[in-house]
Amino acid sequence: MPVFAGLRVSAFLAWKSIERGSRGTLALTIMIIALIFVNLVFLPSIISGVVETFNTQSIDFDLGNLVIEPREGSQYLDGVAGLQKKVERIPGVVGTSPRITVGVTYFYRGRNAASTLYGITPEDERSVTRIADYMTAGEFLSSGDTDAIVMGATLAGSEGEEVGGLPSLQGVGVGDSVEVAYPNGATRTYQVKGIFKTQSFGVDTAAFVTSREMSGVLGLDNQASIILVKTAVNGREEEYKTELLSYGIQEEILTFREKSGGFVDQAIQSFNIINAISTLVSLIIAIVVVFIVIFINTVNRRRQIGILKAIGIDQQIIINSYVLQVLFITAVGALVGIGLNAGVTTYLTAYPLVFPGGPVYPDVEASAILRSIASLFAVSVVAGYIPAWQIVREDILSAIRG
Amino acid sequence: MIVAENLTRVYTMGRVEVRALGGVSLEVAKGEFVGIMGASGSGKSTLLHILGLLDRPTSGRVMIDGTDVLALSDHRRTLFRLNRLGYVFQDYALIGELTALENVYLTSLVRGASKAEYLERSAEILRRVGLGDRMDHRQSELSGGEQQRVAIARALVNNPSILLADEPCANLDSQTSRSILDLFARLNEDLDQTIVMVSHEDWHKEYFCRIVTLRDGLIEEMVECRKEPHPHGEA
Ligand SMILES: Nc1ncnc2c1ncn2[C@@H]1O[C@H](COP(=O)(O)OP(=O)(O)OP(=O)(O)O)[C@@H](O)[C@H]1O
Ligand SMILES: [Mg+2]
Repeated sequence: MPVFAGLRVSAFLAWKSIERGSRGTLALTIMIIALIFVNLVFLPSIISGVVETFNTQSIDFDLGNLVIEPREGSQYLDGVAGLQKKVERIPGVVGTSPRITVGVTYFYRGRNAASTLYGITPEDERSVTRIADYMTAGEFLSSGDTDAIVMGATLAGSEGEEVGGLPSLQGVGVGDSVEVAYPNGATRTYQVKGIFKTQSFGVDTAAFVTSREMSGVLGLDNQASIILVKTAVNGREEEYKTELLSYGIQEEILTFREKSGGFVDQAIQSFNIINAISTLVSLIIAIVVVFIVIFINTVNRRRQIGILKAIGIDQQIIINSYVLQVLFITAVGALVGIGLNAGVTTYLTAYPLVFPGGPVYPDVEASAILRSIASLFAVSVVAGYIPAWQIVREDILSAIRG
Repeated sequence: MIVAENLTRVYTMGRVEVRALGGVSLEVAKGEFVGIMGASGSGKSTLLHILGLLDRPTSGRVMIDGTDVLALSDHRRTLFRLNRLGYVFQDYALIGELTALENVYLTSLVRGASKAEYLERSAEILRRVGLGDRMDHRQSELSGGEQQRVAIARALVNNPSILLADEPCANLDSQTSRSILDLFARLNEDLDQTIVMVSHEDWHKEYFCRIVTLRDGLIEEMVECRKEPHPHGEA
């Protein structure tokens, strides 16, 4: 008997069974498969959304793509202007921004807050981070500013509001004067030139003055704590790092990921464990559901299966007809699932979940969809095959007698 | 040619043994039309099941056209049923999900027939059993006698060389029964089909070449009835 004829019969039986079987059961099964599909795709999409948000926030507001730091034992990078020139000549580097980083205490109307103050070169900073585009009041620094400061919205705070644990001056506005106590004992009074809000909380609790000003206070010359490097594309930090090393940069080079430390990697790892557990549970549910559906289906059709065998239809054709039903149910379920998932994604893109670090948009990767479809199919076929195979082996006459 | 030697079939139900067949030997020549009669519970269906490769005897041997069919694998037995046998079940055994027409053409589909071919053949045989206007009905929409005729059509559709029919007229009025038996007789004569048919009705005897009567799982008597072609066959 030709294989094709066998498949044709399996398809015929499968289709008649779907067409003339219970509509309700069919719809319910498809719905369950669809929900399992959504579950398989949703969590990974949120996790990769979180990672994506974190990456963009880090690159755009905090660190750029790469950072250059002094080697072990030195506090500052020296000959910063020369180093900057050298790095900016490397293909793929689109900007560098040296920063002097110092922990200070801010005083304002009898309130104080300890946080970070950065000394930057405004044009350089603009070529790397996008903080200057996120001013909620006033303006960003210009190169000549010496008595001006721009401040993150969290640090500036608002009147009468205590932000649990975060440094806040509770209501600093543009034009106000803020006193800054440097660790070397110097104090300076700066006028607030602007306030920015980036949603990246490490940045929003800090403030910026020009490095010209800060160098004067700290007695530095052509020095910086760190140089941020912006590259033409995101996501290829490792390659650029190798590139920089090959151009003979002697200082320590870190990708933004390395710089932010194990924290994110750990978080991602934990997310991945949660994701693996959730995937496993979903797939087990899928196995059980498909198994039960096909089991009930075949048990209810014992007599029919016996008759099919009696009139000369091979077991394999009968089993295949159930496998085809499962494939059909899974395919429709996956399609409905893709639809549902698109709905959820659209909703969450319009009304994103807010995490520390900013809004998180579900990031549905094609590979996640394909993987989910593939695992659903694999699982369903197995879960459909086994009960069909069990029932089909039964003795013909006992099956027909029911 | 069917050769059954010393068939026994014992059902074990707990500690009770039911001896449905107690040693039946029977030869049916190619083209013979054999009637099997006997009281209810005498083992007629049991014998037919074994000849139809639906059941295995507890002991004994069955050769069909020289093949020891008990030695075949399940897969081969399935193919044998598909290609060589037509079987009319005592309880019809239709597929409830399928229409009359679909029930009839299903095996042609398995045999790889083209759509035009199996549709035409199935419709034709359904018309011959008088169901030309019931083709799209499902089992639940057919009377007992109509279901029985669908079962007959299904058994006949591939012109099997051996037809085994278990009381195929049990639910039919005498006129319809006669037309079915005429159809059998014609296939028997025109196509040289071997037919083994279980029956309760005395008047069916006029169609049989030979009548085998069972009693308590044994052959009680075997009677040759006629040698001449049956007049109804020419109808
Ligand atoms: N599956 C079974 N389990 C136990 N006993 C059975 C089974 N099938 C049949 N029998 C017994 O075997 C004997 C023969 O049954 P069989 O069905 O062959 O009778 P029959 O001659 O076809 O009867 P009828 O004319 O009523 O159809 C009966 O006594 C019956 O009870
Ligand atoms: Mg019987």
